[in-house]
Amino acid sequence: MSTEDTELDERKIVTFTLGSRLFGIDMRSLIEIREWEEPTPLPSVPPYVKGVTNLRGSVVPVVGLSERLGWAPSELHARSCILVVTINGRHAGFLVDEVQDIVVIQGSEIQPAPDVEINEQGAIAGLVKIERRTHDAANAEAMCLLLDLDALSLTRQIPDFVA
Amino acid sequence: MSDELDEIQGIFFEECTEGLAVAEAGLSAMAAGDVSAETIAGVFRAVHSIKGGSGAFGHAALLAFSHRFENVLDEVRAGRIVASPEVTQTMLGAFDILSDHVAAAQGGTEPPADAAMLEQLDSILESKGAVAAAPQVETAPEPAAQLDDFGFTPLAATIDDFDPFGFEPVAVVLDDLTSPEPAEPAGWTIRFGPSRGALGNGGEPMLVIRELEEMGASVTDVDLETLPGLRDLDPEDSYFVWTLRVPGTVAEQDIRDCFDFVDPASLVDIARQETVVAIVEEPAADEFDGFGLFEPLPIVSEAPSDAVLTLVPVAAEAAQVPAAAATPASAAPVLAAVPTPAPKAETRQGSVEVAQSIRVDLSKLDQLLNLVGELVIRGSILSDRLSPADQERVELPELSRLTRQIQDNVMSLRAQPIKQAFSRVPRMLRDLSAETGKKVVLETIGEMTEVDKGVIEKIGDPLTHMIRNAVDHGIESAEERLAAGKPEEGTIHLSAEQKGARIIVRVRDDGRGINRERVRAKAIERGIISADAALSDEEIDGLICAPGFSTAETISNISGRGVGMDVVRSNVEALGGRLEINSVPGEGTTFTMALPLTLAILDGMIVRLGDQRFVLPLANVVETVQPEPGQVQATSPSSEVIELRGQYLPVRRVGEMFGMRSERAPEDSLVIIVESETAGNVGLMVDTIDNRREVVIKSLEDNLHPIRGLGGATILGDGSIALILDIDALVATGGSSKYALKGMAA
Repeated sequence: MSTEDTELDERKIVTFTLGSRLFGIDMRSLIEIREWEEPTPLPSVPPYVKGVTNLRGSVVPVVGLSERLGWAPSELHARSCILVVTINGRHAGFLVDEVQDIVVIQGSEIQPAPDVEINEQGAIAGLVKIERRTHDAANAEAMCLLLDLDALSLTRQIPDFVA
Repeated sequence: MSDELDEIQGIFFEECTEGLAVAEAGLSAMAAGDVSAETIAGVFRAVHSIKGGSGAFGHAALLAFSHRFENVLDEVRAGRIVASPEVTQTMLGAFDILSDHVAAAQGGTEPPADAAMLEQLDSILESKGAVAAAPQVETAPEPAAQLDDFGFTPLAATIDDFDPFGFEPVAVVLDDLTSPEPAEPAGWTIRFGPSRGALGNGGEPMLVIRELEEMGASVTDVDLETLPGLRDLDPEDSYFVWTLRVPGTVAEQDIRDCFDFVDPASLVDIARQETVVAIVEEPAADEFDGFGLFEPLPIVSEAPSDAVLTLVPVAAEAAQVPAAAATPASAAPVLAAVPTPAPKAETRQGSVEVAQSIRVDLSKLDQLLNLVGELVIRGSILSDRLSPADQERVELPELSRLTRQIQDNVMSLRAQPIKQAFSRVPRMLRDLSAETGKKVVLETIGEMTEVDKGVIEKIGDPLTHMIRNAVDHGIESAEERLAAGKPEEGTIHLSAEQKGARIIVRVRDDGRGINRERVRAKAIERGIISADAALSDEEIDGLICAPGFSTAETISNISGRGVGMDVVRSNVEALGGRLEINSVPGEGTTFTMALPLTLAILDGMIVRLGDQRFVLPLANVVETVQPEPGQVQATSPSSEVIELRGQYLPVRRVGEMFGMRSERAPEDSLVIIVESETAGNVGLMVDTIDNRREVVIKSLEDNLHPIRGLGGATILGDGSIALILDIDALVATGGSSKYALKGMAA
């Protein structure tokens, strides 16, 4: 999510949960949402790379997003699903707990992420308050963490397989 | 128009690149002692083509230089200058400058300094007492040679003329016509009608016209009156009368000189004109094509934009009509030959045949290849789902056979001789020699080995680095070499061969070899290994590929830019290949790249380990063994051997290599004996074998990054993914903890 994006007034984001936290990614990066399916595990990859799966004929890595962001691994359950996104022309699947909603937000509503990062590598591009689709009136608003997909690019994380 | 022109210009530069390759190959052959007329003519043609195109596109510096170069080549070709080693060396130097000129023209940068080289060329011309002015009329004394060089039918001649540049005829003419010379003195009007028998005698009118065009002439009209209908057309006859306009500044004698070798029976009429002839400003192809040659050939002239594709095969066909053919070849067969693609084997004979190709955007081929890949997968799904009887009933075997054929064909479309990657090496070596003062001879073997285009494109950089490394670090200075009892000149062997599904590319030098003491010291200094690390010689050699390693005491601009062997290695690995280093102190170093033949399809054996399936490249598989109890024995807690016909071979449990625990007894497993480049024959223990199948290789780096030990992944008939094992990498690294796979992620 570049600064250009944040200057645009209206943006669509897809929100989803990891544990109790609410996250959002730019709608334009989303390719599809699929049910969780055990991927084919790979050797020599960081633990958050769960393996690879077949996305209409191409081999796409599946990433445990929660681990990638430094939290405990997601536990699999019936609503676990994979968000397939495109990052700079490459595809990746993110394991998330539950997909919530598609929300329109104003660029001006986005607050920059605090300097003291809550996770490695500045993967959080900004914070935005959104209304949740919930019956719990007391909890109608929630903080949504907007992810910077570029920072999550897997190719940046090429493991050192030489030494 | 400008887009179109850019495109045509792009083609011109592509042709230049090919022309340079041809010229370099020829010059190298000459340097190696092959001074046959054919070789020299090949070089001449290549340079001539570059000159022609550079004129058409207004690259003045390139034109001027190639013209002077061509003059020398022309004299050599005519035998007036002997192609002595000195002359050949100068021409090689001139070739390098020419390459720089082409690069400068292409990049729009300053042309290289060529004054010194021009002087050298001129001194060659002068020393032989040859006329250093405009080249002689290119009418070779022996008609037969002439015919071979240029073809002899009007059809062939004209097309041939354009073909080296690969652009449309219209474009050339436009250029000539829209930039007329300023006509201060009254211009000349020339009418030129070759005698009917001129072509048969080797009198090539195109050469004369070209010659005149070099003086600034332009064709203003072609008289087609005597041209018979297609049925009566004798392609060996000349029917045209050209009208040319030459600027008045050109001396009459110079014009007359052009006609020196023209049959006296021809019509040659040279006169001063009083008024400037009106220039046709924008001739369209169907109104006026400058030469009138396409009029009677509607197939060709109706599709001028396809000219490159359509005309080339005609030229080739026509050129192949035997020179001595007594019976006039009728035009019809020539035309009929248009859609026939040229046989591949002939494409390397000379520049005429080299042009027998169709330019296709690589992405289109890739698309086709992907589609074929999908087709193969669908075929697998079908055969998985149908019983053998049903398969027969729906003729699935037949379909599979056809699919297979399509696949092979598409693959072969992408296959190119590795020569394309090798061709830039000689120049590089000359530069390196000049920079380092080391004398190096290049020996090339197997450059016709065909490899997938994608592989060729990607090995250029690694190859460059390996060669640089060999010259910079491997080959010693002349004094050192003499002191070591070696010939003064270092030798670099560059070879390519196909081995199974792999292409082996080797760069071998006869230099000093890797100084393991120094490498080790450096690696410790750089913190790559610990001071007490016990490493084998091979492991030390491998350190030069470690990131951040460089033993060059001075950073030369040869191995410079901070890019080292680690990049070479990762490039090769990204291709699914491996890099090996073998060094014998005092005798030299060999870098071996083992590359996949294709990046797309693999003949594989599907094996099972637990609930996962893997693909073993069939090319590596030697045999499969069902071990008897006791046949597999442990030699240490972590290593086993299998006894096979009295021989003990190491056995690796693939599952363990991937971090999967298995308590399966050897008797319940299968041992697949595989052949590896590094470790010889090794047994791999797997649970079972599923089947044998062709799989489409999907690269991991498309969406992730290459993983050592894996050649990629594939999608099986049921849609699941199987990882493709890279046997050589697995076996080579299996025993060393340094490279051990970290274990499965899940």
